[in-house]
Amino acid sequence: MAFTTESRVNFRVVRFMYEAGQRLRLESVPLATAAVIYHKFFKENSLHDYDPYTIATTAIYLAGKVEEQQLKLRDVVNVCYRTLHKSKPPLEMSDKYWALRDSVASCELFVLRMMNFKVVFDHPHRYLLHYLKFIKDWFEPYRWEDLPIARTAWALLRDCYHGSVTLKYKPDHIAVAILYMTLQCHGVDVPYHYQSDTPWWKVFTEDATIGNLKDIMSDLIDIYDLETSVQP
Amino acid sequence: MQRGGGEGASGYSGGAHPTSGGHSSYRYEDLEFPFCEDSGKYEKLAKIGQGTFGEVFKARDRKTKRLVAMKKVLMENEKEGFPITALREIKILQLLRHENVVDLIEICRTKASQYNRFKSTFFLIFEFCEHDLAGLLSNANVKFNLGEIKKVMQQLLNGLYFIHSNKILHRDMKAANILITKHGVLKLADFGLARAFSVQKAGQPNKYTNRVVTLWYRPPELLLGERNYGPPIDMWGGGCIMAEMWTRAPIMQGKTEQNQLQLISQLCGSITKEVWPTVDKFDLFAQLELPQGQKRKVKERLKAYVKDQYALDLLDKLLTLDPSKRLDSDSALNHDFFWTDPMPSDLSEMLSQHKTSMFEFLAPPRRPGQRPMPHAQNQNIQRPTHNPDLHVERVY
Repeated sequence: MAFTTESRVNFRVVRFMYEAGQRLRLESVPLATAAVIYHKFFKENSLHDYDPYTIATTAIYLAGKVEEQQLKLRDVVNVCYRTLHKSKPPLEMSDKYWALRDSVASCELFVLRMMNFKVVFDHPHRYLLHYLKFIKDWFEPYRWEDLPIARTAWALLRDCYHGSVTLKYKPDHIAVAILYMTLQCHGVDVPYHYQSDTPWWKVFTEDATIGNLKDIMSDLIDIYDLETSVQP
Repeated sequence: MQRGGGEGASGYSGGAHPTSGGHSSYRYEDLEFPFCEDSGKYEKLAKIGQGTFGEVFKARDRKTKRLVAMKKVLMENEKEGFPITALREIKILQLLRHENVVDLIEICRTKASQYNRFKSTFFLIFEFCEHDLAGLLSNANVKFNLGEIKKVMQQLLNGLYFIHSNKILHRDMKAANILITKHGVLKLADFGLARAFSVQKAGQPNKYTNRVVTLWYRPPELLLGERNYGPPIDMWGGGCIMAEMWTRAPIMQGKTEQNQLQLISQLCGSITKEVWPTVDKFDLFAQLELPQGQKRKVKERLKAYVKDQYALDLLDKLLTLDPSKRLDSDSALNHDFFWTDPMPSDLSEMLSQHKTSMFEFLAPPRRPGQRPMPHAQNQNIQRPTHNPDLHVERVY
């Protein structure tokens, strides 16, 4: 499958964001917010006009504020620089440091204006958490213990931010699709689902259709194909 | 940032060019922000507020002629970028849409140019409300009857119920932050100190700052250093404001935090383990010399101003020392005060007699410590000298 240059760049940049985010101990929801800010920004703007790594760094810093896990601008600048320039010595307190710091601070205002200050997003995380807790009770306890369903689902959710899936679909639909895919990966069915008239996921989101879920899953699979086509 | 000479070095892009920008034909000033409009669309009319948060102006949309309030975002501490307090206020107001919460219309900015070192100024644009409660109460010509007081309190509690059920704490309840439109609709305003709260996770108490809430409205738990607080802190302020509806001036005008605790003890009785079983968890409780042997005199003291028994009872329950026993907004709304005659009545008729805007900012300053309420059995509570002629700004 052929991928656009944009989606390859975006994949790499989000991978960079996740690496830097982990070093900054940024939790999963703020990290998801950072990725959405990044994707939204480049949905409206061209990668030719703005440096994606500056926008990504700014998105990390801004997401920390939005999600009440505020990071120090100094740490963000240092960690992002180090993550991006692995072979270079760490950043020193120099004019360059101050210039980078200033550029992220100004860029934050710029991104806020671009987003019209709408930087709160409804992520699939809380939906997925609820659904997982819910279906856990449908399984025999020993069966559930055997399967890393929650871990797989959480990993899928994290990975889906490498593409713009979360911009295209409703958060509860994404959560259901991820759960659906997780169960398929582990080759299990929701217990007793064949005895029921409605599919199990209709309990969670009434307005989702099997077509919706399949679209989301196919987008998810594309992200993994994209990964193999992007140089490490 | 490549486009825009004002942004300075990027250095992030692949490391190939530590400084980018400046080699583009675009100019930063010429950038268009399709979603964030220029503040020039509003015409500033008058300054109506000033505080630590910044300046507030009354303004008019040049096109639609709609009146708005413009609140400038202070960017003093710009070392850490856009202030997190302003971001919280914006986030919270975007989330909260309710009749009794002030409506954020949009956010505007000035154009960045060489004159402001390419730093835009941001303004929060709110619907315009004609009065604030502090302004109304300091004007002796404004008289609230019991039904109207009930309406004010009912709307105030409705607003608090709404924000608390959305897991938001206001953290700066005071009469000046309660806006009232000329139609008598009350709006909670100034969410500059507000934040989201969560229920304490097992073994992990929340650590919020306790340097919040204007001193005169600050509840005892904050004064004792609580950092794991919740909605009761706003309810205390609600109680103080309710009393003010009759006394017309803040009821406890402390000069220092310790003095405030003394005033609270004199009104609500000594702070002891008997009335507040968990109070000894605060270090300050042991360290401070708090008044001992004080009897609780909330009803007794306020009786001189408040004749209604239900009102006194509600006040007593809002001004409860132990936050876990303090009335919440839901129970307060169910209190008999709101369900007995005279029933809450519309404010618009009374307000229609007043053609000028009344804001605390436009009224003479209320100096702390002037005629504080405690000690005095028979001393009248008054707002510091007041001259209604000073409210010169005409609204209509």
